Amino acid sequence: MDWSLFAIGATGWGDELLRGFGLTVLLGLTAAATGTALGLLAALCELARFRAAAWLVAGGNLVLRSLPELLVIFLMYYGAAFALQALLSPLGVDGLIEVSAFWAAVIALALIHAAYASQVFRGALTSIPAGQVEAAHSLGMTRSKTFLRIKLPIAVRLALPGLANLLLTTLKNTPFVSAIGLQDLIRAAGDAGQNTKYYFQFYMASLVVYLVIAGGALAFQVYYEGRVFRHLRRVPA
Amino acid sequence: MIMDVETLVANLPLLWAGALKTLELMIYTLAGGFLIALPVAFARNSRAAGQRAFAHAFIFVFRGAPLLVIIYLLYYGLPQIPGIKETPVWLLIERPMPVAVFALSLNSAGFLAEIIAGALRNVPAGEVEAARAFGLGRLQVLWRIVAPNAARLGIRAYGNEVVFVLKGTAVVNFISITDLIGATNQIYFNTFDRITPLLAAGVIYLVVVFVILTVIRRIERRLTPWVYARIEPAMRAREARA
Repeated sequence: MDWSLFAIGATGWGDELLRGFGLTVLLGLTAAATGTALGLLAALCELARFRAAAWLVAGGNLVLRSLPELLVIFLMYYGAAFALQALLSPLGVDGLIEVSAFWAAVIALALIHAAYASQVFRGALTSIPAGQVEAAHSLGMTRSKTFLRIKLPIAVRLALPGLANLLLTTLKNTPFVSAIGLQDLIRAAGDAGQNTKYYFQFYMASLVVYLVIAGGALAFQVYYEGRVFRHLRRVPA
Repeated sequence: MIMDVETLVANLPLLWAGALKTLELMIYTLAGGFLIALPVAFARNSRAAGQRAFAHAFIFVFRGAPLLVIIYLLYYGLPQIPGIKETPVWLLIERPMPVAVFALSLNSAGFLAEIIAGALRNVPAGEVEAARAFGLGRLQVLWRIVAPNAARLGIRAYGNEVVFVLKGTAVVNFISITDLIGATNQIYFNTFDRITPLLAAGVIYLVVVFVILTVIRRIERRLTPWVYARIEPAMRAREARA
């Protein structure tokens, strides 16, 4: 194999691929972080006693989990421009409004991430041992203190393996953003392939990059299960 | 208005054709994915270390790789193999449709193999032993005892996987197949209306997902009637109280 294909500079495609990888990681991490926060909020809404909020959020999550990622990205990108135009035209702002493709993609991927993260958080929040919460109450902790000091740390610990999986899923969803003109890793590999006709080599390289990330997530999960649940393991006699 | 009814009605045939393409892709992929996943699932549970290693590698690769990479690798990468254009395989891979189905099937098989293997592992050992003790042959045990039990254990996860396959079919837009989302692009080129077709496509996807989930629930009920016989009176009582 000809490694000079991946050289940095004018002759190789290394720098273009790296820039694409940078965008993939930036997009994936921003969307995952936003989506995780939104997911926690959504889970709290779904478990709230205020049933209307719970149904509304549950319905939204169901829709986001049912639509293809590409459709959500399109709806966000073209729909946001449309909505902004409709909102601003009464104020006298006319003309074509262009929405940042990056932020449209971040919001779309974050919403999808949140819809799945809320499932993970809901599972974690409902499996908090009741004794812990009762103990906190009996010590006189307020509701908010109980949530911040008792419920949240336990829930996060239970949710982390699921969240690691979701981070991986969101990273795998990033290639769809090339449909609204962003240059992610896969798009960069495609450009390189088109110019050199070595499609196979470039797509193989991006596959390896993704598999390394997946391997990292897997290793984290194995390490985490062994470490965080140490106190639950029986000490051999 | 957000939804332009006139545009929608005029372009229903395009949307219908796109929806049929999406469903066609989904059905082929479900069949292909199952055919690939079954041997991988058996290899995953096999006693031979080599088979297990192969299954682990297969599942790791196709679960870890974005669908788009797999489809691009097959569509643009395979024709690069020297001499492939003279073989009969070329007749299949020069067209986008078989490549798309193959890529989607591999991706789905990665997830499905894990589901099937898990279901097979959790079939109650006592039932298998009892069937063996009654003198049933290996194939008979597999067909009469293991398969129904595994179907029961795996049906719920399988339902989710079917929805993922439906969502996954959207990638075919990147290799110039016109599915439901591709149809919205066509309507946009004809009418310069982006939002109406996208919303209509969204509604169609939701309807299909609803149908899938309903069918899966029906099958689940058929497979585990005793569970529902026990839960349902309690559920109805709770609803009556609420």
